[in-house]
Amino acid sequence: MYELTGVGKAYTTGSGKVLAVSAVDLTVGDGEWLAIRGRTGHGKSTLLNLLGGLDRPTSGRLLLDGRDLGRMRDAELTRLRATAIGFVFQTFNLVPTLSAAENVEAALIPLHAGLAARRRKVAAALDSVGLTDRARHLPSELSGGQQQRVAIARALVKEPKVLLADEPTGNLDEETRDEIIGLMEKLWREYQLTLILVSHDGAVVRRAQRVGVMSRGSISFGA
Amino acid sequence: MQPARPYNGGMFFFTYLARELRRRLRQAIFIALGLAVGVGLVITVTAASAGVKNAQAGVLKGLYGVGTDITVTGAAPSAGQAKPSTGSGGGSRVSLGMGPNGAQMCVNGKCRSLKNGYTIDTLTSSSYAPMNEKAAAEIAALHDVAAAAGGLLLTDNKTTISQNPSPPTSFSVDGTDISQQKLGPLSDAVTRTGRTFKAADANRNVAVVDANYAASNGLKTGGTITIGGTKFTIIGTVAQPEGSNPPNVYIPLARAQSLAEQGPAGGSLKNDVNTVYVTAASAADIPAVQSEIAKLLPKATITTPSSLASEVTGSVSSAAKLANDLGKWLSVLVLIAAFAVAVLLTMLAVSRRVREFGTLKALGWRGRRIIAQVMGESFVLGLLGAAIGVGLGFAGVAIINAIAPSLSATLSQPTGEHIVTPNGALNPTSSHTVSVPLVASVSGAAILAAVVLAVAGGLLAGTFGSWRIGRLRPADALTKVG
Repeated sequence: MYELTGVGKAYTTGSGKVLAVSAVDLTVGDGEWLAIRGRTGHGKSTLLNLLGGLDRPTSGRLLLDGRDLGRMRDAELTRLRATAIGFVFQTFNLVPTLSAAENVEAALIPLHAGLAARRRKVAAALDSVGLTDRARHLPSELSGGQQQRVAIARALVKEPKVLLADEPTGNLDEETRDEIIGLMEKLWREYQLTLILVSHDGAVVRRAQRVGVMSRGSISFGA
Repeated sequence: MQPARPYNGGMFFFTYLARELRRRLRQAIFIALGLAVGVGLVITVTAASAGVKNAQAGVLKGLYGVGTDITVTGAAPSAGQAKPSTGSGGGSRVSLGMGPNGAQMCVNGKCRSLKNGYTIDTLTSSSYAPMNEKAAAEIAALHDVAAAAGGLLLTDNKTTISQNPSPPTSFSVDGTDISQQKLGPLSDAVTRTGRTFKAADANRNVAVVDANYAASNGLKTGGTITIGGTKFTIIGTVAQPEGSNPPNVYIPLARAQSLAEQGPAGGSLKNDVNTVYVTAASAADIPAVQSEIAKLLPKATITTPSSLASEVTGSVSSAAKLANDLGKWLSVLVLIAAFAVAVLLTMLAVSRRVREFGTLKALGWRGRRIIAQVMGESFVLGLLGAAIGVGLGFAGVAIINAIAPSLSATLSQPTGEHIVTPNGALNPTSSHTVSVPLVASVSGAAILAAVVLAVAGGLLAGTFGSWRIGRLRPADALTKVG
């Protein structure tokens, strides 16, 4: 699935160059659940952005199924994100004016799916996260846990190969956190996803198959 | 993933658009109202300007008659050019002084001792220099000219010699081309009594008198009037539209040409005209026809409605200036302000939605799909602004029509007299003031232009917002706090 060789990401700021990700070598297999933990500002989210094609590495090679994300054109990256990669964010990032169903449907718009197909997939996705009865509700009418469920449904409705989750439980209480992580684990198994999850919460990362620790832009794995 | 059916994202597009506009309803209304005020002002000013132009056109139409687009006249004789011995074509030159046999009065260079009761009656082309009547035919043959007719605008001057000399009296006479009565001053006249000219009148001493002049001078159909020392039978009286400044008397062109020759000035106007009335093939052809005539008759004065309008004074002229200058610039300023507000608020809205757009990019939305969404919102706001603006425009026009006073138009015209006194020469003019109503009306073209303006304003705002979206990198956008 993913094959990273010496991947780095540097930003130029007013005070000079900042190396957010430094020479990361990493392989993630198909269907694997990898958790990445680490302190704030040590490059977890930057690495996730690189894996999701939201940003480009400034050094190294980042392959997804043999295709170098760093060399792909913008349109190809956009297409890749539309078809193969699902995102779940800490702050849910739902469009506030759209209902739960419409937020999920938004992920199908770039795929040029017909209206009936969209409606069917949206209903199935909402059912898989247990929110069928909340389909017409706006995000503001949903609890934090429900909003994150909608965000998970939105990420999975297009049946991606990879699910990238950036602190998906960061804004939730413990009970809801466990609920969401339980749901993600269930879906990971059902959809046979490759799940890469960033969190600083030990209770969350403990459930992953493998845990990497980001520190000063580098990733390391325990013995 | 293969599409199950042809893509149908339209409904989602409109749903998203409507929800977004509803979310920032106050801002949307503010943008739409800003555009609406600009558009409404443009419509109102355009309608008022059109009303003033119509009022001006009404005045001008009355001056030269219906259907005349261009008037060609010989150059007016200046005071410096006036010579007492000059023949026809000059003004009626009257001077009072002392001769070898005592007091004498000179009219057009002919001096006579002042004997009680002697009347000198001359019919002269005092305002304009004569042209050969072939000029009318030559103009008629020009490209883009629909018709042309010659005429003689003359002045009849009567001077009675007396121990106590009194100022000469005069009235205006129009030598009318009877074969082309649809052109020229008589074209707009309505017969009040009797009749107007027939073809058989071409060489008869018959006259048609302006109804107002007839009333104020006790003239009636069937009576007579002396013109250039010759008695004419009055065959009818005519009324001209309000706002016109018509000749006092109309006589057949051939008689006018003949009589001017017989006048005391001694010159000849036979085969001459001093005015040619021209109709262009279309209003758009007027400048081209004007240019062609200028080449054909380089010394002639060519008057178009627009050039004549510049000579009209009074409140109609002030209103035209107000509508054209202040109104136009006020509209432009308000539109610029409305556009600026729309652009700023749209940029602000885009700034607030950066993370939302970043999320959509993360979902695989192409930049141009997001831009289309924002442009769609701006387009709808433009349409809304246009709709409200058209309503405001109609309201503005209604207010103008309800409270606007009648306009006055004043036009100075030479009386045809040329008086030489020991202190210098005088070419008196008479001012003619008429009252014309101001009726502002909204044209379809103005509405269309206003809608285009409002939509353009909306799209301009959307373009600035889109420019911001186009530069947005998804990873950066997602880090923005919403």
